[in-house]
Amino acid sequence: MTGPAKPVGPSPRPLPRPMPPPAPPRPVRVSVPSPPAGSGEPAGRPGPPLDLEKLLAARLHAVKVRPYLADALFALHVVEDRSVPTMAVDVHWRCYVSPGFVARTPVEELAGVWVHEVSHLLRDHHARGERYAREHEEHGPGERSETGARQDEAWGRLRRNIAADFEINDDIYGDGLPLPAGAVLPSLLRLPTGLLMEEYLRTASMSGLAADLAWLDCGSGADGQHRPWELGPDGAHGLSRQQRDAVRFRVAEGIKGRPGQAPEGWRRWADEAFHPPQPWRQLLGAAVRSAASAPGAGENHSYRRPSRRSAAVPGVLLPSLRRTPPRVCVVIDTSGSVSDAELGSALLEVAAIARAVGGRRDLVSVISCDAAAGIAVPLCRAENIALIGGGGTDLRSGFARALRSRPGPDVIVALTDGQTPWPSAQPPCRTVVGLFPRPAGAVDEEDPDYVPDEPPSWARVVTIG
Amino acid sequence: MNSSTLLSAPVRAADTPAPTPTAPSVTGTQLALADDLLALLRTTTTEPRPDDQLEALTLAVAADLPVLLWGEPGIGKTAALTQLAASLDLPLTTVIASVHEPSDFSGLPIVGDDPAVQGVPMAPPQWAVELVRAGRGLLFLDELSTATPAVQAALLRVVLERRVGAIQLPPDMRIVAAANPRASAADGWELSPPLANRFVHLHWVHDRQVVVRGLGGVWPRAELPRLAPERLPEAVAFARRAVCGFLEARPTLIHRLPSTETRRGGAWPSPRSWQAALTLLAFGTAASVSRDVLALLVRGTVGDGPGLELLAHIDRMDLPDPESLLADPASAELPVRGDLRQAALEAVVAAVGARPERERWEAGWAVLVRALETGAPDLLVAPATALAALRRDDWEVPEAVERLTGVVGLARRADRSVRRATTLANAGRATGARR
Repeated sequence: MTGPAKPVGPSPRPLPRPMPPPAPPRPVRVSVPSPPAGSGEPAGRPGPPLDLEKLLAARLHAVKVRPYLADALFALHVVEDRSVPTMAVDVHWRCYVSPGFVARTPVEELAGVWVHEVSHLLRDHHARGERYAREHEEHGPGERSETGARQDEAWGRLRRNIAADFEINDDIYGDGLPLPAGAVLPSLLRLPTGLLMEEYLRTASMSGLAADLAWLDCGSGADGQHRPWELGPDGAHGLSRQQRDAVRFRVAEGIKGRPGQAPEGWRRWADEAFHPPQPWRQLLGAAVRSAASAPGAGENHSYRRPSRRSAAVPGVLLPSLRRTPPRVCVVIDTSGSVSDAELGSALLEVAAIARAVGGRRDLVSVISCDAAAGIAVPLCRAENIALIGGGGTDLRSGFARALRSRPGPDVIVALTDGQTPWPSAQPPCRTVVGLFPRPAGAVDEEDPDYVPDEPPSWARVVTIG
Repeated sequence: MNSSTLLSAPVRAADTPAPTPTAPSVTGTQLALADDLLALLRTTTTEPRPDDQLEALTLAVAADLPVLLWGEPGIGKTAALTQLAASLDLPLTTVIASVHEPSDFSGLPIVGDDPAVQGVPMAPPQWAVELVRAGRGLLFLDELSTATPAVQAALLRVVLERRVGAIQLPPDMRIVAAANPRASAADGWELSPPLANRFVHLHWVHDRQVVVRGLGGVWPRAELPRLAPERLPEAVAFARRAVCGFLEARPTLIHRLPSTETRRGGAWPSPRSWQAALTLLAFGTAASVSRDVLALLVRGTVGDGPGLELLAHIDRMDLPDPESLLADPASAELPVRGDLRQAALEAVVAAVGARPERERWEAGWAVLVRALETGAPDLLVAPATALAALRRDDWEVPEAVERLTGVVGLARRADRSVRRATTLANAGRATGARR
């Protein structure tokens, strides 16, 4: 048994936990002791025993300072295992613990590790990691040798683990959970905090960290890759998929029910845990498409002209598929600070969708405020869209101008950051609002109590970006 | 003209004796060989294999609820349906909704001699007539999400009332539909909420193992869930108790139209879909399917959030009854999972608090001691604190409490650690060392 219990001096790089020797060879467990029911403590093994009391005191600490995670923390099943570097979780919500790691780590830091590991599971890092690996072909059938492929796989695993740790570590510590001597933080690579695991994976190479963090291993719960020491789906005390979802759901509901307690990052997670945000392009596309296909516009069946099938079946009245190209009017409001890049991509998207649903180029028009002319004019010229110039400083005048045009639009798409008054009455056509999200509070320096109106309920709102 | 002669050439070669001994017969044998090869390729076997999504689909079909399969194109939805129809011994009728017109589902109006007297009959299309003639069948409505809104509206009646024009489809008929999710259906419409509400939504994903094994010649077999006849009344009672008890507690979830953009086109709760969820719960219980299959079905019927809440409610119904735990603490069977165990213990404490009597209070301590013997001690801290707070002045501390001193020690240790952490943080803040 290679006990990773050597005391380590101050490390040159900040590390989340006391560093064991890098990448210890992990012996596959010879026998898998099935823990006695409930106790979670396999007995009769050599070496220092697991200090279960210390570990559970740390769990209590974590529950006290993060009460909203209590259900998830208690649902974890502890498995003692000497081949785990520190602590690790598998996808079945078992928590593998190295006794040596527990012995040399203070209780308050252990509490942080508990929260860290449970965060991997709550945030579904294994499924997201697998999905990322599949989409980016990290398991691709390389022509390299077997060992080369395996190294690649190990590197992919480590990358996903580091990115997942970045996502977790930048918002779980503090407020009763001491930040360990130096956690794996995005600042190591001079990356911004608050991003998601996938974003870190996309933007950063992380190769500089690889050598130092080779030991880092939070188990298959962090990246979705099976480890030799894990008990697998048939082992005892695993949670089924439904049970995992139920626990995650209860935690999410608990956070949503008492929003005052949980920090921003957890609240955002709770909102999105079961409804991950969809790409805005698709949402905007669906919204514009369904608005443009409303009765009276777009492609639908009508009896206005007989179907061409009618000649073949005399005596039968058939409707025909008629296409009434929708007139789409895009209202751009730039009284706030919408960047040219944001605006440009959204406007291009609207134009493309409007064409796809059958609108001709001349039926797509843009009404812009003067501030936006800088971006809107060349874009519209390139796209051959008629630009109706000028406009008010608030969205109401933009709507009024759009409705004044003859013939009137079938769909109004408003691109705005929401810091604007809205029309009080529903316009006589479908409305889609593309909303550029703005952080609350950064609104008005003069009147801190000013809260911009929500987009009205009659508009379909798609958050962009 | 050209194409018809081209097409007819091999047919004639097969029918008439070959004028020259070489070329046409070679074509003939080549075709026969190709047929042999195709026949070999099509020879597949099936094997029983636990597959949650297939089991969920079969159960919903057995419960006679319309199912909607969401899945990327080419993922094997149609293949699964073919297998299902074969194993249920139902003839499969496939109707591709997006190439039909509304009148194909609402009936084709035929003008007679005197419409004012006789009315205009709505003639059903051939597939419907054949389905009625067969008396039974599996109707597969493919490409539902790419059908125009008018076709979707016409389909409402087919799915709900099972009427096509003037013809009533047979009661022994099952309806399954398929749709591509918005992400992959570039030109699709989203499902209107009324139509979405009538379906059990199942998200079809491919299982690598199943695909590899199926291409190797062995497909999984769907077996009709076996309903246990003696469990039927119990299953209905359970389903009613679960759904009614849940909706009593959460009346706002009885009807909630999908509001946000991401939830459109999916399942949402309404009295109709709760009725469907109740039916599925009863079927699932009578067939003893796993909780995972039930979860797929319930979430697909009333939506993710309400479905998960209902399942959590059922989980809680599974917890041991606090009164029976109090009645016999020595042999109490507590759940193994930590969070459920704590919920059970908290229920015991709440039961004692509801009717505080000395014997019950002492029995509560006995339950906690039993929990200490069989599981992790940190779960006991909160219930023990709550139970201690229920003490009346004239009640003596039972001996059993002595055995919980370890728990108190654990709680103190955690408290000390929390204090250390906060003082550390305060010190850090004071010196500005942190952030």
